[in-house]
Amino acid sequence: MNHIAGSIGRRTLTAVDHMLNLFAFIHSISRLIFHRSATGQMMLRKFTLEQIYFTAYQALYVIIPVALLIGSLLIVQFSMISAQYDLGKIMVLLIVREIGPIVTALIVILRTATAVSIEIGYMQVFHEIEAIEMAGIDPLRIIGFPRFIGITAAILCLFVVFDLVAVIGGYLAVWIFTYIPVRNLLGQIEAAITFTDILVGIVKALSFGLSITIICLYHGFKANIKITGIPAQTSKVAVECFFSCLVIDVFISVLFYL
Amino acid sequence: MATIELIDYTLEPQSAGNGIADFSFSLFGGDGYCIQTDSLDDAVLFLKALATLVSPRKGTYWFNGVQIDLSDYRNALPCKQRIGYIASDAALISNRSVRENLLFMRSFFENSLRLTLDDHTAELCRRFEILDKLERHPGELHPRDIKNAITIRELSKHPEVLVLERPEDFIDHTKFGFFKKTVAAMIQQNLSVVFYSSDMNFIESFSTKKIMITKGRLTFS
Repeated sequence: MNHIAGSIGRRTLTAVDHMLNLFAFIHSISRLIFHRSATGQMMLRKFTLEQIYFTAYQALYVIIPVALLIGSLLIVQFSMISAQYDLGKIMVLLIVREIGPIVTALIVILRTATAVSIEIGYMQVFHEIEAIEMAGIDPLRIIGFPRFIGITAAILCLFVVFDLVAVIGGYLAVWIFTYIPVRNLLGQIEAAITFTDILVGIVKALSFGLSITIICLYHGFKANIKITGIPAQTSKVAVECFFSCLVIDVFISVLFYL
Repeated sequence: MATIELIDYTLEPQSAGNGIADFSFSLFGGDGYCIQTDSLDDAVLFLKALATLVSPRKGTYWFNGVQIDLSDYRNALPCKQRIGYIASDAALISNRSVRENLLFMRSFFENSLRLTLDDHTAELCRRFEILDKLERHPGELHPRDIKNAITIRELSKHPEVLVLERPEDFIDHTKFGFFKKTVAAMIQQNLSVVFYSSDMNFIESFSTKKIMITKGRLTFS
């Protein structure tokens, strides 16, 4: 009995310690947002653009086909069961509110969060972070901050792209390749979508961006000095990011719609 | 005024070694300290402590008369900027080209991406034969060239203190003579050097004082 209680206690303490460390890390990063320094602005801008290019632009090749597939599949399936009666409403409900943000987050986790965590972990293991410190530069500012801004902005852009491609592209794909009657779909979507739907989508995309960035940066910077720790850390980052996005997703949906 | 002062310092061993207990150390401009030790790990630990890359269990670190609170790594950044660190664990940033690595510090503090190598750095690149490899990334270079680039980066930041771990192993033997000449010229301009070396010629050339670390105790001669 003592053994079980001890095990539960240790796990709880570890989880609480992890959460506190994450909050401390959020505090360090957010201090950088409000404490702007004149030095290094050009470099920060360059690194932020590089991050947006990698996370948003290069992900278009993945997100556009995925959005097209999901959009057309949903339209095909729901036009059959609902006979178009409330297809626009269903599309808004599923794509804009739920599937859009979560699939975008999933793609960013798979492509970017893991890559950033590996990159920073590698830099930690091979003393590259120390090399930046020896130049008198705060590594959190020069490595963490551009990724924080870049990934969050990129998720927001990708979410908009996903929604547009899924709805318009899905509609076109079904219209061109099938005989399913979906003539009024865009009009139905227009009638069904509200300002709250768009706001919720943006809030979700921003929250996912923040949580994904914080988690991958935190794990990257706290990597121990063994290279064998990096694969385990990467897998932890992917799981933790996805789980946190699901929790945030449920929380925001409940907050706005219930 | 001492450039670096470690007062009542105690360093925990890192992965190996004895650590170093209860010592004080002052480094003045132009000093040349050579480390003799029974444990290479302790010598490396001491060098890293000088470069503020490890924090002490107890003790205070002073740089140019200002006490540095090492509990927050950001406080040590201005000191690190003034210390050249040429050691086995020194690295280049792997996702930047050699040129970007050499200009990294200047680009940040001068807030420009359009900088070119100054004459001194370009001359060092020429002498260390990496002038034609400036656009390559560290992963594309021979380890010898990476070490040369690190040496150039550290020398070109005009440090007040130079920390060296086995320079005879780190620096290509064909460039070692030039490196010694460069360091000697920098010492004339008040650079302090602390090093661990087994090259008697280098020790005789650059050490004015000796640090002995034996079984976790530090003494001077």
